[in-house]
Amino acid sequence: MRKLSIGLVFSLVAVMAFTFAAVDAGAADTVKLGFNIPLTGDNPDVGASSKNAAEMYLKKHPTVDVGGKSYALKFVFDDNEYKAESAVKVSTKLITEEGVLGIIGPQSSSQAVPAGEVANNYATPMISPWSTNPNTTLDRPYVFRGCFLDPFQGPVAADFATDELGAKKAAVLYDIAADYPKGLAEFFKEAFEGIHGPGSVVAFESFTTGDKDFSAQMTNIMMSGADVLFTPQYYSEVPLIVRAAKEMGWTKPILGSDSWGGGDLMGLCGDDCKGYYFSTHYAAAGAKGDTKAFIDEYTAAYGKTPDDVAALTWDSLGLMVQAIKDTGKLSGDIKADRTKVKDALASIKNYPGITGAMTFTADGDPKKCAVVVKINDEGKFEFFKSVCPK
Amino acid sequence: MEETLAPKQTGGLFHRVGLFFKPVPLLGYLLGFLACAIWEQSAGEGLTVLLGLPKMPVLFGLLTIFKVLAGIINFLIKGDAFNWATWVYIPAALVYLTVIYLLPLAIVARAVVKPANALARFLQRFPLIVTALVQLGLMYAVLHVWAEMSDYRLIFLKLTLIAVLFTLSLNIINGYMGEFSCSHPGFMAIGAYMSSLFTVGLFASDKVLGEAVFNVSTAYLTFPLALIFGGLMASMGALIVAIPSFKTRGDYLAIISLAFLFIVKSFFENMQALGGSRGISGQPDWATLPVIFITMALGIWTINNFVTSTMGKALNAVRDDESAAEAMTVNTRKTKMTAFLFGAFWAGVAGGLLAHVLRYVNPAMFSVQKLAEVLAMVYFGGLNSVYGSIVGAVSISLLGEALRPLEILKWIVIPLLLILVMIYRPTGLIAFKEFDVRQVFGPKEVE
Repeated sequence: MRKLSIGLVFSLVAVMAFTFAAVDAGAADTVKLGFNIPLTGDNPDVGASSKNAAEMYLKKHPTVDVGGKSYALKFVFDDNEYKAESAVKVSTKLITEEGVLGIIGPQSSSQAVPAGEVANNYATPMISPWSTNPNTTLDRPYVFRGCFLDPFQGPVAADFATDELGAKKAAVLYDIAADYPKGLAEFFKEAFEGIHGPGSVVAFESFTTGDKDFSAQMTNIMMSGADVLFTPQYYSEVPLIVRAAKEMGWTKPILGSDSWGGGDLMGLCGDDCKGYYFSTHYAAAGAKGDTKAFIDEYTAAYGKTPDDVAALTWDSLGLMVQAIKDTGKLSGDIKADRTKVKDALASIKNYPGITGAMTFTADGDPKKCAVVVKINDEGKFEFFKSVCPK
Repeated sequence: MEETLAPKQTGGLFHRVGLFFKPVPLLGYLLGFLACAIWEQSAGEGLTVLLGLPKMPVLFGLLTIFKVLAGIINFLIKGDAFNWATWVYIPAALVYLTVIYLLPLAIVARAVVKPANALARFLQRFPLIVTALVQLGLMYAVLHVWAEMSDYRLIFLKLTLIAVLFTLSLNIINGYMGEFSCSHPGFMAIGAYMSSLFTVGLFASDKVLGEAVFNVSTAYLTFPLALIFGGLMASMGALIVAIPSFKTRGDYLAIISLAFLFIVKSFFENMQALGGSRGISGQPDWATLPVIFITMALGIWTINNFVTSTMGKALNAVRDDESAAEAMTVNTRKTKMTAFLFGAFWAGVAGGLLAHVLRYVNPAMFSVQKLAEVLAMVYFGGLNSVYGSIVGAVSISLLGEALRPLEILKWIVIPLLLILVMIYRPTGLIAFKEFDVRQVFGPKEVE
């Protein structure tokens, strides 16, 4: 019993001694930002890209000056496991427990929609870099996004097919079971038929996630006499579609969307994809200025070209930090500061991001230009054309 | 001589602690927890500052401890910078746990033994429902006060209570009936979608389902109807699995039920009227803590009555030997049908609650991942037991939250724990234990 009490007293003393050290460590003025990203689960690459971009940002800009006072930036990364429930828990935890000033993420719409609800309820600014579902920001003044939306990208692709490829009839092949391709396919169809009249999309063929054989759909597309094939699919599916098309004797252009750029398309597709076009957020080959600096630094640090997620996360983070600076002064009252940051975010004009200049609309969606890239003979994504919203 | 004594002594300590708390009835523990929660509300903030913790520990300090551990692990593996001063948070969190929870719980629970037992004995003179209501009311008060301290706790608690109900509903089929059914997330999806269809379609304006049909301020009173509707629709879906279960058993039924899960998921993905793969959002915020608590209590009550009834015994007979059960005049078809429909009903209700807590539902939420999660809860907690389902759902949820800072290591630690449980207790932590409500709520008589 005596040994026990002596031990207890000693450990208490030790705890006390360390306590003061710990209090010292946390006393500096910091600005905390939370990351609600999928570090584990079905899509860990997305989380890894976001975390890489964020860590690179922190190394480059460890502090933020607000109204002449310097604050240390601190990032809290939390794992949402690519699950809606976890995203809600993580957002609540970041806001109520960690006391973050703003949240970056979640990336995918299936987590960003419910997490956006949480952020808006607690009046905390949130930017989802990658979510394309309109519901993420709809009627939520505190929620913003970093990428353009499908209603914009669809017409970009349709205009490009018309003006640059001289297409009068188009075919579309898309995955009906996945949120993003389906939405984009419909917007493309609407825009293309708006230009060339109803019925000009001569084949509107669908498949279901995981399908590997596209010969039935390709036969219909070949028969339809289309001038161009639009397929807004992911990088893992594009090579299969392209090969199926070539086997059927398809020699006309194939047009894609930003999902082509997210992943190792050229590694999987090889020579087959060369010469095709897709619309995206930015072009890595032939980039200039800040974009080039970002790509070079990222490649040097992590050994791979940054994907869309990394670039958009970088820009979303830049926007958030810019908004914090724009507040002019942080009061220290976290609730008031969050609202100030939200107001500053909404009033940012032409933020010079690496994926283009950005201005938020009243809905919290950015007005920014899309880029059409061509896959050149070296397999690099080369800048071809920039299309800006009117 | 000494060797024989040694194990007895360690057993002696546990035995003595067990003996010390043996006369405490549930009522005593509830009072103890209530005291803890109130004590935390008044003294928690002060103690946090005194111990030098950055923020009040939310989940019994577990989160604080594992966050520091994750920092140390990252330092060891990746060489990330680690602030050594923060390790002190571990003992501080333990002190907090002891001072706020363990000590008051032990003291109050032991101190109120006599009055609590007397009260429990007094309540026992009334019908069972009275004592149950009193104790459940007290339990709700504990949870309410505890969750009031932080909204993170509240959302954690809500999702955990839903997980308890969902796990128990699967235990009817996988535990009591002994079939391996993989279709439960499918039932949950049907419940979630159908109750959302009811609430969003009728009472909320939404892009997918159109304008609100009714505009009543007391519309939340219809929420039970929405949940029941969701549950019934899930039961209808369960027919698709129940009918083939007459002819197949074991692995084959597992495959059929897995197919059902995929059918449900693709159905909702392709159903454009229900939002397709984008899902439905904008559910009204009706799934509050009392609603969830009452639904869960009701679920546990009816499921427990079901499995202890003659029908429940028939379920066990079917599990142990189907032909023998048939020979002993058990109507195996009726039994299986009832178990599937009943289990699916409560899974559907749990789905309805989940959709209204998250206020969003999409098909991707009900994937194989969800199946793995709920199967882990059932088998970790224990088959054929209400206690097991509660323990399984709560501990897996708590572990999932506490180990979140460990990131990928979390998916090594939790499966490892599952493997250990399967080695040492192949049927789960608390399996095959009857949940006798009268005994649980009653006084503890010690001679």
